[in-house]
Amino acid sequence: MKQNDQGVSDEFLNAFVDDQLDGAEKSQAFDAIEHDDALKERVCELRGLKERMRHAYEHPPAPGRSAVKGRRFRASHLQALAACLLLSIGAASGWFAHTWTGMGGDKEMTRLLQSAQRNDVGAESQKFIVHVSSSNPIRLKTALDETENLLDSYRRSGRKLQIEIVANGGGVDLLRADVSPYAKRIGLMQEKYPNLGFIACSQTIKKLQGKGVDVQLLPHTGVASSALDQITLRLKQDWVYIKV
Amino acid sequence: MKILSLFSRSHTFHDQLEQSRVRLYRVAYSWSHDAALADDLVQETLSKALKNYGQLRDPKMLNSWLFSILTNCWRDHFRQHREMEDIDEIEDYRCVHETTPEDEHAQTQIVGRVRGAVARLAMGQRQVLTLVDLEEFSYAEVATILEIPVGTVMSRLCRARRALKEMLQELAPVQSAQISRIRRIK
Repeated sequence: MKQNDQGVSDEFLNAFVDDQLDGAEKSQAFDAIEHDDALKERVCELRGLKERMRHAYEHPPAPGRSAVKGRRFRASHLQALAACLLLSIGAASGWFAHTWTGMGGDKEMTRLLQSAQRNDVGAESQKFIVHVSSSNPIRLKTALDETENLLDSYRRSGRKLQIEIVANGGGVDLLRADVSPYAKRIGLMQEKYPNLGFIACSQTIKKLQGKGVDVQLLPHTGVASSALDQITLRLKQDWVYIKV
Repeated sequence: MKILSLFSRSHTFHDQLEQSRVRLYRVAYSWSHDAALADDLVQETLSKALKNYGQLRDPKMLNSWLFSILTNCWRDHFRQHREMEDIDEIEDYRCVHETTPEDEHAQTQIVGRVRGAVARLAMGQRQVLTLVDLEEFSYAEVATILEIPVGTVMSRLCRARRALKEMLQELAPVQSAQISRIRRIK
């Protein structure tokens, strides 16, 4: 540490003005400063610098496109928020239900919570959109396992249920005829559950085609303009969103 | 019921992120001195925070966790746009403070002079200084956020403040000989 004329290092004085010293060190600093006008001046200087820093950035200029970006971010923010939770029914995952009025949509959130508490048995058809964006076979299996569990459980209890699995990015592999590790299983699930749909993201398909990949989807697979558009649409319609 | 706690946790997390936006933007701006870039960095930071929501084990660490993400976004920006791979190179980087007409006018004001001086600091010093002064992070928290030793935080802070002091003296406007008088208005 560099020592100054008074034997007190700059680091020590910085730590003092930044309130980083413990009790004993602070007392030592106060004693030194009290008996040394030069130290007092240095401390005042440092405090002055800190104040000027705070003042200089108290009101940074707003980004020129802030209004537009703010709105755009809110949309993506909500989408990302919906997409940020992992599926885990009884495991290390989560569920997230969300309506498009989510920013401050406390009433809607309350309604959903109350609805979840009542379990809404027979009140109306429960709808889930399951989002898959990874080609990780474990994730894909989880998506199918949990979807099947839900479908079975609702069927057994006589409740109505609708599920849509939407895939983008690596998740589209789940729905590609020549790549999917679960093509046969998906076929069987579609036969067994007419209330289950599979949708692929056309943006992802276009990207793959751009790379020269011939994308052949499994039979009865729908295509959405984009996964996010589909999720957005379903959120607006009060579907429960689950990200795998 | 598990679903209920996840609902409320998600909602709270969402609110906390929104509340952090202004503070993240202030620091991002103090690093870049570019409003549009700062806005992009904050947006990217919040998006990553949402995506990696599950990685935050201790909610009390949210603040420093967010600034760690911002730091990584800032480094990524340099790597992508300035072809700097080496972190040391990034930390030594001094950006050009591009002035606008508004800034030119502000140069006579303390705000403009401080921002101009901060923009001339080496990036490593600038980051430490702004995290301590604007966000009041402890030295230990800054060390965690920037992934550097606490000793480095202290030495960079010292160098930053010395340099800032000198630059502010350099940039100080010539004092007018005239002293304006304060008039009492009845």
